[in-house]
Amino acid sequence: MPTSHDSHQQTQFSKQADLTEKLVELHVSKYNKNRIFLILLSALSLMGLIGLIVKISTGFNNPSDWGYYVTFVAYLLTTVQAAPMVAIAPFIAKGHWNRPISKIAQLFAPLGLINLILFIPVLFVLPSLSDGRRTLWFFESLKMNSHMPHIMTSISFICLVLLGIALLWISTVPDFAILRENSKNPYHKKVFSILSNRWIGTSKQWFTQKHRIGILGAFYFMTLVIVNFQISSDFAMSLIPGWIDALYPITHTANSFQAGVATVILAMFALRTWGGCKEFIGFDQFWALGKLMFALSLMWIWFFFSSFIVFWYGAKPTEKAIIELSMTGPYFIAFLGSAFLLFILPLLTMPFNKIRRSILGPTVIAFFILIGSFLDKLRIYVPAYQLTEHPNKHNIYLSDIPKAILPDVPDVMIIVGGISAIILAFTVLTKLIPVISIWQQKELSLYKIHKKFHRTEVLVLGKPE
Amino acid sequence: MQEHHHRTDKQINKELLSSIFATPKWWPIATLFCLIVYLIGMTAFGYMLNKGIGVTGLNRPVFWGFYMVNFVFWIGISHAGIMISAILRLTQAEWRRPITRSAEVLTVFALIAALQAAPLVHVGRPWRADLWVFPYDFSRGIWINIKSPFIWDPSAVMTYLTASSLFVFVCLIPDLAVIRDRTKGIVSKIYGFLALGWRGTPVQWKLQIVAGILLSALVLPVFVSVHSIVSWDFAAQIGPEAWHSTIFAPYFIIGAIHSGVSAVATVMVVMVWLFKWDKYITPDHLDAIGRLLIIVATAWFFFFFLEWVYALYTLESPELAMRELQVFEMPWRALFIVFVITAYLFPVPMWLFKKVRRSFLWMFITTISVNIGMWLERFLIIVPGLMRKQPLMFNWGSYTPSMVEILMVCMTFAWVFMGMLLFARVFPLIPLFDIKEGMLVRDEIKIGRAKVPATIRE
Repeated sequence: MPTSHDSHQQTQFSKQADLTEKLVELHVSKYNKNRIFLILLSALSLMGLIGLIVKISTGFNNPSDWGYYVTFVAYLLTTVQAAPMVAIAPFIAKGHWNRPISKIAQLFAPLGLINLILFIPVLFVLPSLSDGRRTLWFFESLKMNSHMPHIMTSISFICLVLLGIALLWISTVPDFAILRENSKNPYHKKVFSILSNRWIGTSKQWFTQKHRIGILGAFYFMTLVIVNFQISSDFAMSLIPGWIDALYPITHTANSFQAGVATVILAMFALRTWGGCKEFIGFDQFWALGKLMFALSLMWIWFFFSSFIVFWYGAKPTEKAIIELSMTGPYFIAFLGSAFLLFILPLLTMPFNKIRRSILGPTVIAFFILIGSFLDKLRIYVPAYQLTEHPNKHNIYLSDIPKAILPDVPDVMIIVGGISAIILAFTVLTKLIPVISIWQQKELSLYKIHKKFHRTEVLVLGKPE
Repeated sequence: MQEHHHRTDKQINKELLSSIFATPKWWPIATLFCLIVYLIGMTAFGYMLNKGIGVTGLNRPVFWGFYMVNFVFWIGISHAGIMISAILRLTQAEWRRPITRSAEVLTVFALIAALQAAPLVHVGRPWRADLWVFPYDFSRGIWINIKSPFIWDPSAVMTYLTASSLFVFVCLIPDLAVIRDRTKGIVSKIYGFLALGWRGTPVQWKLQIVAGILLSALVLPVFVSVHSIVSWDFAAQIGPEAWHSTIFAPYFIIGAIHSGVSAVATVMVVMVWLFKWDKYITPDHLDAIGRLLIIVATAWFFFFFLEWVYALYTLESPELAMRELQVFEMPWRALFIVFVITAYLFPVPMWLFKKVRRSFLWMFITTISVNIGMWLERFLIIVPGLMRKQPLMFNWGSYTPSMVEILMVCMTFAWVFMGMLLFARVFPLIPLFDIKEGMLVRDEIKIGRAKVPATIRE
C-alpha cells in the first residue's frame, strides 16, 4: 500500500524530471541568441588586441608607460579571478542559497586565461631584483635568482588558472552527463559525452566528486591569496621606496573578494534579465550576496584605516610621503573616488531594507564597487611604475612625489577591449556550460520541502553532514 | 547536528534549572577557592598601592609587563561572546544554541577582568584617575591627545561592555520569567523585577527576537573596533621595535577570536563535566567548534607568519636584532618555542582528527594549551620590544615579573571563574528558550533510505 512517504518521493521524482527538462531547455535555448551583441563584443576585443600590439611595440624601457596596463591586470585578478570564491565558500559551508548561482561564479575561472596572457608583458616591465629593492624573496641575503618574483608569480598564476578550469570541469561533469542524455544534436551529444567523462552517477562517483570540489575549492582559495600577495608585494609595494605595509596584501585580497562578489552580482542580473534565468535567480541570491558585499565593504574600510592610522600617527617622513603619494597628493581624486564608491556609498545605501532587499539595489552598488575597485588599484599601481626609475635600494626612502599621469590611447583600448573580451568569453562559455547547475538544483529540490506547521506552512531545509 | 536528544519543555526546565534550585556539592568549594585567590590578589594590589609600583618588575625601559599582557589577553577572551553569539546567530547556525549564553557571560566577566588587569592598576597612582578626568582641568591649557588610541580605548571597552551586558540581559529575559514562575516570596519578586513583566506574548517574542538580531548586528563593529584600538596602542608607536606594523589590528582580532573561541570550548567541556549537561552539549557541538577553531587557528597562524615575513622584509637592523632576540636568545627562545607549539603546532593537528574533536578531555587539553600559547604571544610582543626600545645599548633593560604581578594575574583568572560560578548559581547558563526553540524547529527529511536532519525556516 503506498505510504505518504512514497507519494512524497513520487512527487519529488516527478518534480526532478520537470526540473531537468526545464534546465536543459534553458541551456539549449541559448545556442543561437545574441548574435549582434557577440559581434559588438568581438569588435571591441579586437580593438583591445590592437591596443596591446601598439603598446608592446613601444617597448618596455619606460615602466611608467605601463602603469595603467599593470593596474588593469591587477584589476582583472581581483574581479574575474576572485569571482569563483562566491561558489567555493558557500559550498564548503554547505549553504543552499548559492546553488543557482554557483555555476555563474565558477564560469569566471577559465577567464583567468585571458588575464594570464595579459600578464606576460608585465613580466618584461617589472625590473629584476638587482636594483636592490626590498623583496619577499630576500635576494641579497638568501642569494636568490634576481627574477624570483617573475618566476614565482608566473607559476602561481598558471596554477590559479588551471585550478579554476579543473574546478569548473569537475563541478559540471554531472550536468554534462545530463546534457549528453538529453541532447538531440549528435555533435553536441558527442562533445558532452567526452566532457562528462563516463559519468553515470554511482554513489562512489558522487562521493568522489564532492570531495574533489571541496579540495579544488580550498586550493583555489589558497592560490588566489598567494597570487594576490605576490602581485601586491612584488609588483606594487616593493617598487615604492620605503613602503612597508604588512597589511596591504591582505587589503588587496579582501578587496578582491568584494569586487568578485560585485562581479557575480552583475552577471546574475544580466542572466536574470536577458538570459532567461528569472525563475532560478531570485531575490534570495541578490539579498545574500548584497549582505556579503556590504560586509566586505566594511572590511575594506577596516583594513584601510588600520594601515592609515599606523602611518598617519607614526608620522615618519617616509610614511608621510606614502600617504601623500597614494592618498592626498597627485592621486587624490582616485583615492576619493575609491573611498566613496567602495565604502561610503554602500554604507549610505545598503543598511536600508528597500535597497538591500531588492534586485536592482545590490546590482547598482555592485557596478559602482567595480569602478571604485579600479580606482583603488590605480592609485597604487600607476605611481609604483612611475617610481621604478628612482634609486630603489632598501635604505632609500621616497622623497620626490611624481605628478599624476593619465592613461594614453592604447591603455584605454586595452581596458575597454579587455573587459569586452571577458564578457565575450563568458557569453561563449554559457553556450557550452549550463549557467544554472542542473545537479545542484535537483539536489536542492530533495533537501527542500514545504509542510504544514500548526496553522501555517513552513519551509523545511535539510542540512546534511 | 546528527546527534539529537529530544527533551520536553518540562525536562529542559528541570535539567537546566537544577543548578539554581539546588546547590551542587562542588559549588561552594570551587567558589570559595576562587574567592580566596581573588582576595589574595586584591591584597597584593593593596600592598602595591601602599608601597608603590617599585614592588613590581616594571622599570625603565619596560614600563608595560604582566599587567598589560593580561589586559590584552582578557580583551581577547572577551571576543568569544560576540563571535559565538552574534555571528553564529546571524548565520543561523543551529549548533550555537547551548553555548551562546556562557560565551556572552564569559565576555562580560573577561572585560571586567581586563579593566582590573591594567588601566586602573598599572598607572602607579590610580586614585588620581578621578582627578584627571572628573572634572578635566582645562585651565592648564593642556588638551588630551584625541589622536591617540589610548583615548579611544576607554570608550571602546566601555561601549563593548555595555553592549555585551545588554546582550546577556535581553536574551535572559524569557528565562528569568521561567524562574520567576517557579519561585516564591522575595526571590520571585526579584526575578519578576528583572523579567520586566515578560509573559511570552507573540508581540514580546517578536520584540525579543528583533532586539537580539539588532544587538548582534550592531555589536559587530564594536567587537572589531575594541581590539583594533587596543592593537593600535602598540602599532601607532614608532619607538619599540616589532610594534610599528600595520598588520596588528587584524592580527590581534584573529588572535582574540582564536583564544576566545578556545576559551568557550573549555567552558563547554567544564559545563558538561560539572553540571552533567551532556544531553545539551554533545560531541557534535564540540566537533562543530573544533572545525571552527581549525579555520580560525590557521588564519591566526597565517597572520603571525605574515607579521614575521614583513618584519624581515624591512631589512632594518634594529627590527632584525629584535627578532633574533625573540628566536635565538634565552629565555625568549624557550618562550617562543612553547608559544608556537601550544598556540598552533600541538592543538591544530590534533583537531584534524574527528576522534579528538569529539573527545571532551582532548578538547579541554587542546583549548587550554591554546590559551597558554596566546598569553605567551602577547608577552613576547610587549616585553622584548620595550627591552630594546632605546637605540643605545646602555638604555636596554630586562624584565622579571614579581610575585605581586603574578598574584594579580591569578586574581583576574579567579575573578572570571568566580563570576561564571556565581552566574550559574543565579541564572541558567544554557538558554532555556533557545533550546526549546531548537527542539521546535528541528525536523527530518527522508531522501531515499537516508534521514537528513533539517531545520524549519520561515
